[in-house]
Amino acid sequence: MRLENLELPRVEGEARLELLWKDGVVEDARVCITSIRGVEKVLMGRHYMDALVITPRVCGICGHAHLMASVTAIEKALGVEPAQKGQLVRRITQSLEILQNHIKWFYLFLMPDFVLLEKSVREFYEPFRGRRWQDAIKVASKIAKGIALFSGQWPHSSYAVPGGITSEPSAKEVTTLRQILSELRDFFLKYTVGMEEGEFISCLREGSWRRLGGDAGLFLELSHREGLLEAGRSYDRFISGGSLYFPCGYFMKRVVHGKLRVEQLQELESSSYSGAKPVRYRGMPFETGPLSRQLIAGNPITKSMHRELRDSFAVRVMARVLEVWSLTEAIEEWTQRLKEVLHERSTSLGRFPSKFSGRGYGVVEAARGTLIHSVSVKEGTVQEYSIITPSQWNLGPRCENFLGVAERAILGLKSPLHAQMVLRSFDLCSVCTTH
Amino acid sequence: MKVFWLQRLTCCGNTHSFLNYESLNTLLKRVELIYHPSLSQKPQEEAVEELLRRGEEFDILLVEGAVRRDDRETLELCRLAGYVVAVGNCAVYGNIPALANANVCGLGYRFKEKGGLLGEGFRSKGGLPVINLSGCPAHPEWIAGTLLMLSEGIKPRLDQWGRPEEFYSSLTHWGCTRNEYFEWKVEAQELGSKRGCLFYHFGCRGPLSYSSCNTILWNGVNSKTRAGTSCFGCTEYDFPRTGLWETKQYAGIPAELPIGVSKRGYIMLSGVAKMFTPERLKGEA
Ligand code: SF4
Ligand code: SF4
Repeated sequence: MRLENLELPRVEGEARLELLWKDGVVEDARVCITSIRGVEKVLMGRHYMDALVITPRVCGICGHAHLMASVTAIEKALGVEPAQKGQLVRRITQSLEILQNHIKWFYLFLMPDFVLLEKSVREFYEPFRGRRWQDAIKVASKIAKGIALFSGQWPHSSYAVPGGITSEPSAKEVTTLRQILSELRDFFLKYTVGMEEGEFISCLREGSWRRLGGDAGLFLELSHREGLLEAGRSYDRFISGGSLYFPCGYFMKRVVHGKLRVEQLQELESSSYSGAKPVRYRGMPFETGPLSRQLIAGNPITKSMHRELRDSFAVRVMARVLEVWSLTEAIEEWTQRLKEVLHERSTSLGRFPSKFSGRGYGVVEAARGTLIHSVSVKEGTVQEYSIITPSQWNLGPRCENFLGVAERAILGLKSPLHAQMVLRSFDLCSVCTTH
Repeated sequence: MKVFWLQRLTCCGNTHSFLNYESLNTLLKRVELIYHPSLSQKPQEEAVEELLRRGEEFDILLVEGAVRRDDRETLELCRLAGYVVAVGNCAVYGNIPALANANVCGLGYRFKEKGGLLGEGFRSKGGLPVINLSGCPAHPEWIAGTLLMLSEGIKPRLDQWGRPEEFYSSLTHWGCTRNEYFEWKVEAQELGSKRGCLFYHFGCRGPLSYSSCNTILWNGVNSKTRAGTSCFGCTEYDFPRTGLWETKQYAGIPAELPIGVSKRGYIMLSGVAKMFTPERLKGEA
């Protein structure tokens, strides 16, 4: 028995991985996340609107998702329905945030690990110098520009308010956004999957993932060579809050179940080694994120990969990559609808009430999975605020009965680098895990 | 120019802000980012240890995130660096992490209190105090601009908070598309509209915050106030204040007036402005 303690590079924040080795195989793994900043605490006693400015600061990469969860929770507490236009625009910017995350994650966070295994891919994915690394940053910042068109800036905007949004977008914003989307499509087709649109669509329809080319094809080939196509499996149970291009639900025993009951969700006490609190649904650990979303949405490629390889490293990664396309399509559709309601008001509640009492929660999808905010307000002041982040599902520690989702996925691996890569396939983020 | 990017208690927002810099790839050719925790292949602890062990001097240390008062490593790195740049409100004043923990501060300040981690008299090897790029997050052009200045041998002139005057000598208010509404005292009555100024009812700190958000636009296209959101004064030491969306008023007059404006002057001017507001600015503001 040998204990190994790894500090991980390229994480949002800091995280450590403790591995217990026996006969050259990982026998036990602990994901340790520390450095708590205490955002929930800062909200106590403040005016409820302050949450819209403070909660995005939980995370510099998915701050927009926090804003959306926060505003939804407040709207529920107020009993307000957002204006249609506001709702559409919010969905668009929220999805754009996920898109830029996926691009950055695949090219800047994930692929550089392969550089350590395979010298030949260095010219593409080496940090700072790699060709694709550089292209990816460019595209990601274009997408961020798309968010800013509506929200004022990215990161850290606070343009979603009870009832809708603060901006009043016009045709100009919509047409610029469509430009950005087509650039993204081109990038995705040319580099990420390396094929013409028609060919990709037929691949997608048939679920034939082995035909994919480009960086995705290369990724699959490298994963195959490293034995990572089938490695990195966890509980094969998935959960998702819905709200974007697919309904909410959970996936268990190879069946998609609709409807998610918030009452059946539990946040347990954090363990001795991690600052994150484990979350359980009906007492069990579930994985959240693009793989959950793609399975629930029924993406044919993801489905057929999952049928063959279950919830492995490669399937998890490919689900995130393929979601780029699903989201782009969804945004196109919302943009069409937005055109029709552009002349309508941006909010259904122009002036927020200064004082009110109530409680509410917001369930939204962030890049890494389901994010939940809940708030209780008395006379306009925050009494309680609690946040359950996607990474708590995936990277949270063990409880009495179960290992954490990522912990379980690492068992049985044979190299520390593989262990890190599998952990990274969950889109590791420690800043939001412990907020 | 060798640049080392260090992260402490942070949300990584400044990193992602920086990645939006339009000419990032060209910048990376001109200054060498020897280490960045979110991008490089080594873990941060290892990179820091190596650098300290070798005791090698390098040109610029960028610090993102608030620090603990007993953070010796950061202190030592600051002593080795030619210039020390605090990126973002957390590294400058402590910001949210400092609100939650009394043992946390910025490099040179804890909110408006001088000292921070480095002490008042700190000068880096290159002879400058900490260069503070406040903002939550700092604008990519402010970060890249400062790196470029230093790499061209230009020492930025700093304001009383240690911020480059180049980026922090004007108010957010400058260049705001709602400025005419401000001048004529046409106040936005509700959120969600291009019309009206957000100063009176929605807590806009534009006339009270030093930042170039409306002249060097965010993501090249927009700003908070242009998108109908109030400026929350995220470049100042008191961010995030409480009651961010509301303007405190006494007898109908904002409790805090634009920098440099006297109460008497404000009352007189706003009375006159309201009386003569051009018709085109009225209406569904
Ligand atoms: S909205 Fe704010 S920044 Fe714009 S003019 Fe009014 S006070 Fe100034
Ligand atoms: S407009 Fe104000 S709150 Fe927004 S980024 Fe600029 S200084 Fe910060």
